Amino acid sequence: MSAAVFAKTLSDSRRSLIGWAVGTALVGMVYASTYPSQRQNTESIPEALRESLHVDGTAAGYLQATVFGVIVPLLAMIYGVAMGSRAIASDEESGQLDLLLAHPITRTRFALQRFGALVAGAFGIAALVWLAVLAVRSSAELTSVTPVELLAQCLNLALLAITFGALALGIGAAVGRRAVVLVVSAIAGVLAYTASTFATQIGADWLAYLSPFHYYIGGEPLKNGFQWGDGAVLVIASAVFVVAGVVRFNNRDVNS
Amino acid sequence: MENVIELRELTKTYGTRRGLTGLTLDVVRGEVFGFLGPNGAGKSTTIRLLLDLIRPTAGSATVLGLDPRGEGVELRRRVGYLAGDFVCDGRQNVRSYLRFLAALRGGVPEARIDDLADRLGLDQTAKIKKLSKGNRQKVGLVQAFMHTPEVLILDEPTSGLDPLVQQTFLDMVAEAAAGGQTVFMSSHIMSEVEAVAHRVGIIRDGRLVALDTVANLRTGTVRDVEVTFETSVPATAFADLPGASRLSLDETGTTLSGQVAGSPDALIKALSRYTVTSLRATEPALEELFHSYYEGAEAAPRTESARIA
Repeated sequence: MSAAVFAKTLSDSRRSLIGWAVGTALVGMVYASTYPSQRQNTESIPEALRESLHVDGTAAGYLQATVFGVIVPLLAMIYGVAMGSRAIASDEESGQLDLLLAHPITRTRFALQRFGALVAGAFGIAALVWLAVLAVRSSAELTSVTPVELLAQCLNLALLAITFGALALGIGAAVGRRAVVLVVSAIAGVLAYTASTFATQIGADWLAYLSPFHYYIGGEPLKNGFQWGDGAVLVIASAVFVVAGVVRFNNRDVNS
Repeated sequence: MENVIELRELTKTYGTRRGLTGLTLDVVRGEVFGFLGPNGAGKSTTIRLLLDLIRPTAGSATVLGLDPRGEGVELRRRVGYLAGDFVCDGRQNVRSYLRFLAALRGGVPEARIDDLADRLGLDQTAKIKKLSKGNRQKVGLVQAFMHTPEVLILDEPTSGLDPLVQQTFLDMVAEAAAGGQTVFMSSHIMSEVEAVAHRVGIIRDGRLVALDTVANLRTGTVRDVEVTFETSVPATAFADLPGASRLSLDETGTTLSGQVAGSPDALIKALSRYTVTSLRATEPALEELFHSYYEGAEAAPRTESARIA
């Protein structure tokens, strides 16, 4: 038994993966490079107002609120869900899974190799985002954030994509239907973002701890560097999703 | 003789829908077994159970003495499978896809793949999604045969193939059997199975309704007969022939036509008393026998609730 499924999955998705990674990195780079003009805007706001609005005018605060706060993690999550739903549910619906599983490979191995490809892609995207932001680091006056702190945030970005990929793959493995995967993952994504962002406002701080988003950015890696505990939570959550899905996958019929 | 496939009381229900009911069947090494039945009779269900794509509700199945669930990897390594509705990834060309499937099996000699593709007239440089249904089926055949498995499990293998390629396929099956490979193939067409199969099982509504050698089945079948006599023969000359109840003389008493079931021996002996000017008898068609098993079968297995209602 080889890593044929892993290699094939990556090579099949190479075009979309490269496109997605480059797109995500470009978006991150463009947002990051607007920091100097944004800083001037924030500086014109009176100090007292700035504080009451929680506007953080530092480079780290800016990156955290814009680049790594909304658009880039959203793109990474979409990547995870897309790859995760394709891993099993899509092939099962199209009928291709029948052929692949009629080969000498266990369902567990098959699912894990598909997951491996997803993980590799997520790290690829995160690495490209890191390089893209590094490229504009000095020109965009972001030098107060060290490359290592940026890397710490990008690692969490990869883990966030993997967590949602694991969720989508797990649901697909359990039920084998793409529509179910997409609906559940989308709801989970919205809830995760909302819980992490508005938990404090609605006075339910504990809610944030249920959200992968909290473990992605709540520890402020751009200021504090690597947050190993948060990373571990995301890794464990991913493992739970994948294992639960694969257990069910091993015990059910493959739809024809 | 060693059993390569053993089914014991194999049962599969999908919710309330019945897929397969207590199927017991043995297929021996080196044999070509034709598994016949109308659409929805349970052929694909049986085959997918053998490959552990689905799990039985009750009963058991083994292939090469291996349990599909517990020893699936070893089992599938030694089996070549063609799905009834063969679907594969269409984004790449035939060659690279077959190479990928070969890699899943730990490699297959390239020459073997080329050989099979050439034989079936499959262009390996073509993109799979641009292939016609028949050509895509050839991809399925190549991947099933390429690793020369001990057992070939083929679900409606000839669907979409033109008559010429069908013949090539039947040759490949015959050669496989001659080389000691076992072939289990399903079909809803008797004639294609008749040509290569040693034994035939007929399944209807999830149950095995007939199981016999092709030779034996043939003896029970009916052939069309037409005999012309030089002069009129008595109207009752053939009235009492066994197995000839469907024969009739025309008004002039010079032409006898109709059908004879089973051996034509009694008819031949009776004919010898008269001067025969011409005789025509068709090859016994299993098709007809097959249709008699089909009659009354519904397109799909009935549901329990529908029967109560």
